[in-house]
Amino acid sequence: MSDKREVLHVGIDLGTSRSSISASNGQRHVIESYVGWPLDMVARKVLKKPVLIGRDALENRTMLDLHRPLEQGLIKEGSEKDEAAVRELLWHLLSLVGVKREERGGTRVHAVVGVPAEALRVNKQHVRKALSGAVESLMIVSEPFAVAYGMEALVHSMIIDLGAGTTDFCVMNGRLPTEEDQRTLPQAGDWIDDQLLRHVNTRHPQASVSIHMVRAWKEEGSFVGQTKTPVLVTAPVNGKPTELDITNEMRQACEGILPPIVESMLDLLSKVQPDYQERVRNNVVVSGGTGLIRGLGPRLEQELQAVGGGKVRVVKDPVFVGSDGGLAIALDAPEDDWERLSS
Amino acid sequence: MPKRKDVSPLKRRLLRELVRENVDLKDNRLPRSLRPGAHRLRTTLRVLALVLFPAVLLGSTQLITSLQTPPPPAPPAGVAVPARPAPPDRRFGAPEPIHADVLPLAVHRVAIDPGHGGTDFGAHIPQGLREKDLTLDISNRLARLLAADGFETVLTRKGDQHLSLAERGARASQERADVFVSIHVNWIEDRGSRGVETYYLGSTLDPFLNRLAAEENRGSGYSMAEMRRLLDRIYADVRQESSRKLASTVQSSLYHSLREVNPVLEDRGVKAAPFIVLLTTEMPAILAEVSCLSNDQEAEMLAKPLYRQFIAEALAAGVRSYADAVAGTSPAEKGS
Repeated sequence: MSDKREVLHVGIDLGTSRSSISASNGQRHVIESYVGWPLDMVARKVLKKPVLIGRDALENRTMLDLHRPLEQGLIKEGSEKDEAAVRELLWHLLSLVGVKREERGGTRVHAVVGVPAEALRVNKQHVRKALSGAVESLMIVSEPFAVAYGMEALVHSMIIDLGAGTTDFCVMNGRLPTEEDQRTLPQAGDWIDDQLLRHVNTRHPQASVSIHMVRAWKEEGSFVGQTKTPVLVTAPVNGKPTELDITNEMRQACEGILPPIVESMLDLLSKVQPDYQERVRNNVVVSGGTGLIRGLGPRLEQELQAVGGGKVRVVKDPVFVGSDGGLAIALDAPEDDWERLSS
Repeated sequence: MPKRKDVSPLKRRLLRELVRENVDLKDNRLPRSLRPGAHRLRTTLRVLALVLFPAVLLGSTQLITSLQTPPPPAPPAGVAVPARPAPPDRRFGAPEPIHADVLPLAVHRVAIDPGHGGTDFGAHIPQGLREKDLTLDISNRLARLLAADGFETVLTRKGDQHLSLAERGARASQERADVFVSIHVNWIEDRGSRGVETYYLGSTLDPFLNRLAAEENRGSGYSMAEMRRLLDRIYADVRQESSRKLASTVQSSLYHSLREVNPVLEDRGVKAAPFIVLLTTEMPAILAEVSCLSNDQEAEMLAKPLYRQFIAEALAAGVRSYADAVAGTSPAEKGS
């Protein structure tokens, strides 16, 4: 007997910094991957919520036991609080597209969730565990594959997905990527934040700067190469808001990520069958929030000159490219297959 | 948004593969890429060829013989023939952990791995003590003690040479060692700490242990893809449980024996941490931090050959107890 309940397909990009969801009812949402529980009775009374998620959590962080439950794109292993935080995050994302926790059994949710390219089986099992009870059927895919699927770049292309926690590389050969086709680097957006914080602290030791401030500055003014506009920010120096020029520090932090990225890109390219290398070189796609560093695309093209040149396309709307790709997979998968995947 | 109808053949094929991979994950089966399928098939065909050829020959002989010999009597009517029990469901590669007690294999050959070596000094202090020298000395002592007990021993390095972590594991595997004991000397930022601790392979959230593992994992000689394959296997591996037992036995022996000569020694316990050298082996493996070079009093003791002998004896006693436990005899029984 077939199940007549309504089916909602969703694609979820569970990111270290931001998580997004795209649903078959046309809704798309993105939230900051933060979850916080009020620290005490006073905080609970002020905040009037048992748990805060996303920007809400970040802005009230002083009153919260704040968790960023994903590290390098994966659920932090072994920490019950972080597992609970991921569950809250997922439920919140689902609620944003209309799935109500209290109406379990109302809508059948078929979800595709992206994880870093080199995620271990045990990490994928954690995702399955976190989503159990929230969705009826689940498919876990590598993030760059979801991007490639959504962008119709499944043959002779290279996806470089620069996230906050990891940079994922994937060569698409018209087959499901194997380990040899993929790489994951720990140098990504968070790494740049750490470097930038270090450089700013060295240059302006009197300034009082937090990692959250640095992250916001990077999102506004990251660049590689030359820039005509200086990166000016405001931070308290001895308690007084002061304008600081961090142009050089920003360049230094952002360019620090280039050597490992270029090395991995060229290494993966060298492993592509010689007949197809030129086609792959001319079809490099850069996605992810960190991919929006100004000047990154042209700089990678410059590096490709060493092996005969190539073209790099930077995805303009990186926020939803992963979740949109996941949704495309969810919609294309036959219903019979979703039944095989139901838990 | 409606379901898409015009799915290209390429996408259909990719989706089929993706679903198959996810069904394996859901059912907790190893992915096909990690199963030795093609190799196994080739091996199976070879074995079949070897078995079938004589069997066919034998069969034809029996066919001739059967023309002369009456067939065995049929069971009398009404007597039930017991049904052959159904074969167990052995989905190849199912990664459910097997309990170590199911495979009580004896310990004959012990691989001893003196940590660091060559250009890699490990921990060292201005007074001239270097981890690489201390580990080699203790390892040589341990090898002699175990040999005297009838164990065969294999040292991953016999002199002051640099070996990658992968080479260390490969050597132990080539020599078909039954257990692997990697010997290290600790360096702890809190220099007042002095103690012994023993590791087996696993993941950890402790930032100190992760830093320690990262320090010891330098120059592993493994790519990330290789590492991923290795890690995927270990989670379904019987070795993890055996390694935990070995670590626990050795740690207990180290702490209790050494405490007699070093009463302020701390029991820093048995811990799981992602040391690559433990991942590269094919047998139960542990990494023992037998002392703390960062502590001045410990360093003084380590400089004395007698204390290094005590450490080696404590390690040997731990290995012996584990071997006895695996063989199913208690140390007391063996000694009597």
